[in-house]
Amino acid sequence: MTATILVTGAGGVGKTTVSAAIAVTAARSGLRTLVLTVDPAKRLASALGTANLGYEPQPHTDEPNLWAAMLDASHSWQSVAVRHAEPEVAERLVNNEFFIAASEHFPASQSYAAADQAVTFVEALAWDLVVVDTPPSAGGIDFFTAPAQMADLVGGKLLRWLTGGPLPGRRFLYTRAGKPILRMADSLLGNDLLERVAEFLLDLRTTYDGVANRGRQIEAVFSTSAILVVTTADPAPVAEASRFFRELPGVASDPIAVLFNRTLPGSWIGARPAGTAHPELAENLRRWGAESLRQTDTRTEFAAVNKARVVAIPWMAHPPTDLDSLEALILNSSEFPFTELAITVAP
Amino acid sequence: MLEKRLLVVSGKGGVGKSAVAAGLGQLAARKGKRVLLMDMGNSGGLAAHLGTGPLEFDPREVGNGISAMRIVRSDALLEYLTIQLSLRGLNRFGALARAFDALATAAPAIREIVTMGKVLWEVREQHWDLVIADAPPTGQIGSFLRAPTSISELVPTGRIQRQAAWMTHTLKDPSTTHLILVNLAEELPTTETIQTLGWLEENDLVPPPSVLTNRILDDLQTDPAGDGPILEAAVHHRSVYSEQQEWLENLKPDIKLPFLFGLLTPPEVSARVGEILEGVL
Repeated sequence: MTATILVTGAGGVGKTTVSAAIAVTAARSGLRTLVLTVDPAKRLASALGTANLGYEPQPHTDEPNLWAAMLDASHSWQSVAVRHAEPEVAERLVNNEFFIAASEHFPASQSYAAADQAVTFVEALAWDLVVVDTPPSAGGIDFFTAPAQMADLVGGKLLRWLTGGPLPGRRFLYTRAGKPILRMADSLLGNDLLERVAEFLLDLRTTYDGVANRGRQIEAVFSTSAILVVTTADPAPVAEASRFFRELPGVASDPIAVLFNRTLPGSWIGARPAGTAHPELAENLRRWGAESLRQTDTRTEFAAVNKARVVAIPWMAHPPTDLDSLEALILNSSEFPFTELAITVAP
Repeated sequence: MLEKRLLVVSGKGGVGKSAVAAGLGQLAARKGKRVLLMDMGNSGGLAAHLGTGPLEFDPREVGNGISAMRIVRSDALLEYLTIQLSLRGLNRFGALARAFDALATAAPAIREIVTMGKVLWEVREQHWDLVIADAPPTGQIGSFLRAPTSISELVPTGRIQRQAAWMTHTLKDPSTTHLILVNLAEELPTTETIQTLGWLEENDLVPPPSVLTNRILDDLQTDPAGDGPILEAAVHHRSVYSEQQEWLENLKPDIKLPFLFGLLTPPEVSARVGEILEGVL
């Protein structure tokens, strides 16, 4: 049995670092752990044991329990075509301009590809724990709704809109000239744009059964995964985290905790320096104390409004660059939900 | 910068884009300009920084000389079809609008040109002295700026093609348009900003942008001393400061904004940003 932790949250809050830190802590506690990440910073990638993190999991040279790999959204969308379409259709699809555009831009398609790849590693049963640093689009919600959205996309929802009627067969392409709506569209778009789009959508539709089945398998893994939300105390990511709670996708379980990254020590709030202290340093403490107070207020309010467990992850002035500093990030978080995540750390 | 007609504000998520857009708007309004602030996405960040409720497609006055709106895709699409493309009979052919919406998912340049088209339309109509767009993050800004060009390639004839031509021209005109990339002195935002700058230079879609680096700490003039919190806070400040200096070396900003301590509300942040920008610009 492989346990899964899905780490979600807005971009720029240190989600990737926190995911890596959890993986290092779990690996050092004895769990064979794989961390999957979307786009790690160079220094973090090297902390994970390789400067060029690849798409195939590799073990860390100093920590054999820790494995890491990147999720490649654009590449694995092609594999959807290859896996679920007839070979000649797949060939047409991967070279189709709209397929390329859709795989680059349709946010759900990238999330779907990432989820598909992550679930493949969960199914491999080669690890005790898989930690997934999920893509940050739409406050993380996209990742969870992607399987359903993809099934909708390839299932012909677009095609129905395009023709304003029931799902057409390929002969639609030859009779459409009679339809006023399509005549008007042609005059706007030039002659064959709709035809090219329809051709693409008809090809795409042949992948429906495969995509829908796979979507259900992905959702089954989601529903049994532990979810952690990462944020900082800044208003924008906090709003995204709140949105995740408000719009919690049906396929996800309640988040275990919300991790507030870059938290300052509470002991700085209202601390009084000795009378002999240098005025500039006293003022510096006052300002950082005010910042720490603002953070505390934000966490308290978030916990009350969303009925969530909040965990403070300390602000490291220098981002972690090795296994020890990554592990320290978690071990220094006194309220970290080790038990709920079944990570046993020696005292 | 405030003499332009269109300021496009982008940056990696979480760097303070909306605060900068709102602050610039407040500054321009103080200088007597009629300003329109446009939220090109749906994050709600701009509304929060203006201290107002959710923005809608119809511009609403949110302060002295400042109006604000949000680009709602379905409204923008209808306006694009009826006004910009002068398409009549949409009541009869409401299905066409739906077909376009469907098309926009498969051919994403269409979605982006509807959004970009609305921004440029407001510039062209001249109801405002200055339009400020709180744009999508740097990860997506390329496909928006490139939308008119993409459309020209995708749709080689027809009315859409002709619309795309003036959009490309307006974006490229240095007396009209200026792009501001908001950055932080940290690894990921700086790496992404440098990548974006390279992409922009290669693609030549807008005049050379400005880089605004946000939340920069001043150095302490006194070495950390004492014990307990006063020492910890000083050491923390110094380490973050030196980390930031390293990234400022990698990418020298055109505009610097200081770290704002302990400010509580987004409107307070954007008001401060506006005041500071007045001194900098």
